[in-house]
Amino acid sequence: MRFLALGKAPVVILVATLASALYLSIHPVNESPANLHMWTFAKSHYDAYIDGIPAFEAAHPGVKVDVQLVSGVAVTSRLRAAFWSDLDVPDLVEVEISSAGSFFRGPMRDIGFSDLTNWLDQSGWGDRLVRSRFAPYTSRGRIFGIPHDVHPVMLAYRRDIFEQEGIDLSKVETWDEFVEIGRRMTRDLDGDGVPDRYMIELEDNGAGNMEMFLFQRDGGYFDKSGNLVMDSETALETLKWYVPLVAGPKKIANSLAGGQIFTQALESGYFLSIIAPDWRSRTTEMDVPRVSGKMALMPLPAVRTGGRRTSTWGGTMLGITKHCKNPELAREYAVHIYCDAKNLAKRFPSINIIPPLKEAWALPEFNDPRPYWSGQPLGKLYADLAEQTPSQYTSPFIGLAKAKLGEAVVACVLYYNRNGERGFDEFARRTLKSCADDVRKMMKRDPFQQSDAEHPGGRQ
Amino acid sequence: MRRFANILAVALAYTLLAGVAALVLTPLVWLVAAAVKGPDDMFHYTFFSPQPTLFNFRKLFGEIPFLRYMINSFFLAGTTTLVQLFFSSLGGFALAKYEFKGKRVIMLVMLATMMIPGQVMLAPMYKLIYRMGLVDTYAGLIIPGAVSVFGMFLFRQSMLQIPDDLLQAARIDGCSEFRAYWDVVMPISRPMVGAFCLIAFMGSWNSFLWPQIILHNQQRFTLPIALNQCVGLYEQQYGVLMAGTLLSILPVTILFFVLQKEFIAGLTAGAVKE
Amino acid sequence: MSAATSGWFWKRQQKWAPYYFVAPFIILFLTFGVYPLLHSIWLAFHITSGPKSAVFVGLENFRFLLSDPDFYKAVRNTAVFACFSVFLQLPLSLGLALLLNARWVKGRNVFRFAFFTPHLVGQVFVAVLFSVIFIPKYGLLNVSLHRLLGVGLETKWLGNPQLVMPALVITSLWMYVGFNMIYFLAALQAVDNQLYEAAQVDGANRFQQFLHVTMPGIRQVTVFVVMMSTIGSFQLFELPYVMLNGSGPDKAGLTIVMYLYDTGFNTGDLGYASAIGWTLALIVLTISLAQLKITKTLKPGG
Repeated sequence: MRFLALGKAPVVILVATLASALYLSIHPVNESPANLHMWTFAKSHYDAYIDGIPAFEAAHPGVKVDVQLVSGVAVTSRLRAAFWSDLDVPDLVEVEISSAGSFFRGPMRDIGFSDLTNWLDQSGWGDRLVRSRFAPYTSRGRIFGIPHDVHPVMLAYRRDIFEQEGIDLSKVETWDEFVEIGRRMTRDLDGDGVPDRYMIELEDNGAGNMEMFLFQRDGGYFDKSGNLVMDSETALETLKWYVPLVAGPKKIANSLAGGQIFTQALESGYFLSIIAPDWRSRTTEMDVPRVSGKMALMPLPAVRTGGRRTSTWGGTMLGITKHCKNPELAREYAVHIYCDAKNLAKRFPSINIIPPLKEAWALPEFNDPRPYWSGQPLGKLYADLAEQTPSQYTSPFIGLAKAKLGEAVVACVLYYNRNGERGFDEFARRTLKSCADDVRKMMKRDPFQQSDAEHPGGRQ
Repeated sequence: MRRFANILAVALAYTLLAGVAALVLTPLVWLVAAAVKGPDDMFHYTFFSPQPTLFNFRKLFGEIPFLRYMINSFFLAGTTTLVQLFFSSLGGFALAKYEFKGKRVIMLVMLATMMIPGQVMLAPMYKLIYRMGLVDTYAGLIIPGAVSVFGMFLFRQSMLQIPDDLLQAARIDGCSEFRAYWDVVMPISRPMVGAFCLIAFMGSWNSFLWPQIILHNQQRFTLPIALNQCVGLYEQQYGVLMAGTLLSILPVTILFFVLQKEFIAGLTAGAVKE
Repeated sequence: MSAATSGWFWKRQQKWAPYYFVAPFIILFLTFGVYPLLHSIWLAFHITSGPKSAVFVGLENFRFLLSDPDFYKAVRNTAVFACFSVFLQLPLSLGLALLLNARWVKGRNVFRFAFFTPHLVGQVFVAVLFSVIFIPKYGLLNVSLHRLLGVGLETKWLGNPQLVMPALVITSLWMYVGFNMIYFLAALQAVDNQLYEAAQVDGANRFQQFLHVTMPGIRQVTVFVVMMSTIGSFQLFELPYVMLNGSGPDKAGLTIVMYLYDTGFNTGDLGYASAIGWTLALIVLTISLAQLKITKTLKPGG
């Protein structure tokens, strides 16, 4: 009983520890008995896959599928740790597009995903899915992921408010027209000197929105062979066009934050329009239910008349790990969740995400009119744009490139707010170049990429 | 006149103190308010809404295994604390009450480990833990941190003041060195034990980086990791997030409330007296 | 038992006991200290792709580090944060402690408890709490500032690169002012009252008393607190990492440890991460030694 002489603290802690140990021994961690493990980071995907498990298990006797929902914050670090230690590696895993590139670092043999190029060619799935969507999951010419989505982008806007102002926004064809209307619509309604209505929601503190305009112009961070092109003339032109939208006295765009703030902002008409890739049309329906029937969708205005009316934002790939003991089964499961047109169509109304499987788009679910969107057939609108979705090429350095482009945007916004047009062109060019050079310097350091470039395919 | 100036000064001082206290406590009050506000009231009332609700807590326990995360945290923090308490006090005792060869070296090494940020070793540590087969186990968290260097210093500091005669008397009574530690020295060090328990418990309860790297299975997650994951999930329901935060900070706060005196005495002992 | 007290066994156990007692530390240090430490030196001279592939590059990591703008950004952010911790937060802590130490103050324990409470809340939890407090339009901070001072509701504390550091400083003030006050208060209470009385007899006014009695009395604690704050600031990671969900806009919340973590566990370059780690260790060590040296030269009469 000497322990009691140590005072309250250790005793209290001992009791708590023993009690929790008791609970944990009664409810031990369930090691899943499944023979096919999958991780996903999106709740909506998770729900859909859970629904589909019984059908798959019925068709494959003896197979038990375990799908785990891993938070998006942690999935990359957990997966990387799992790859490194060869421990607890799932057989299949969904990875978000912006972190996919980081898994392609190092020599080919270190990549934790298996090379799907040959299978996609031979099985024919490669041609039945939208081609451009393989680009973000390709490294050194080899494909490591199946695209979950196409994510074409439209413009979602408050139809009711524009109509009150006598404007039919859907007639707008180019960004020039859009900006011109935007200058009139962005206003200070209560006269406190701060605008409380913005034409569009765009961020001034990163490249998250700007890259989408870059893709629309066929620009990007990297070209097909992995060379850095983020300081191309196209990129410079995009940057110089984008910054005045979000900076300076005549700005027409602002951003606040996500979550409930966004809900309030769209409800109150603070934002008149938002960039809406297909997935965001669904989150908007869920998060801002009060504007149902007041919203409408339209293709993005083009850069020049007749130009591309969409772009792309976000994405997810499904990879099969090298660790997987039964790749055949894993591929069958991948086909089950990604390439079954009927299932995809059934799932569509609950996620609004256009699948890359082209043959699915003709199914009736894609043509349903949506009351939320003023009766527009949301699926068809997005599907019509899907094949024009630009390719976005990746590299292990994609994370750094995005951050550096964001830096360029921030620096230019700051400059533009202070100095306006004066010297802006020159500043933008110089800033973009120097940010790109930072990425180049880091790329030059990489001893793995170059050695593999000489032997594409690497040592498998 | 002088009396008046004095009263003024006192009033000013109290106002200042109360003001700071209010500033410090407001976010916590707001946290409690947000946790019991329904999702629609969240932004309609800055603080408490007239209709408090347990909605957020029901969601928290219904949608995610929050109870399990809490119990995991209790188990991990409790075990770590007790293990650290034992080894650190034992080590501190040796450093305080014995002269032996290599003592200086050990003290120097201890100082050095406190100076080098642990993050330097993050990567190789991960490799090591993996090779030992301890990835995704609580042992992988408890064993590397079984001895707290900071704790050894703390205990050494407080045990230095224990008179040697006391130990000598115990030895004459036939105590082994370990019994002397356990029966004589530890009960005297009671305030430091209390303080260290809280420091260790707090450290383990709040630790994030290493568990985030080591733990894979969600069923083993602790509160900080779980809550960090909830941030994305409950962006639409700040109330749920705040309810989770509130429950996460409650145990340590209660522990502190119980141990306040001992804790502050122990915490400052190392720094003040020397 | 007592018969054996004088036997050789007891002599031996007395001689060996301290070794047994520190053995757990030594064993742990050898396994989880020496090996990883040596290995991280080895790593610092390589570029790696995870723990599997490593290419020897000599001093390249350190050479690159010196020209890496992101590393400089991380160092600058961390240093700015550390400066605020030492030069803004600590004086505030001392001021509070002086107020609370006044003989006539009633309810000292209540105030002490109130001021100290935030420190009990772990960085991750504080980060989650304040990420909501900082939100534009509806967050507690903006709403309060708007009501009290008429400041705009739309301040994007965590979205504007120029406001990220102020937001972090505000948060850390909330967390640590009370914590550091505890140390100052303890030191103040340990100062011998007779010294004040003697000073009063000598005709010293309040300020002179502070300068000649209080300051020397709390010198040691001040050194300790300054060191701990500096070292703690340089290890800043969880607070911005969770609050900003990464390094924030324009990497305005990037800290050295975050850069290290990101390089090692996201980019997979454990080599460069180790080089960053060793540079961090060097910075911390230099600052600690410099602070010790400065306080030594400032020592009255020495």
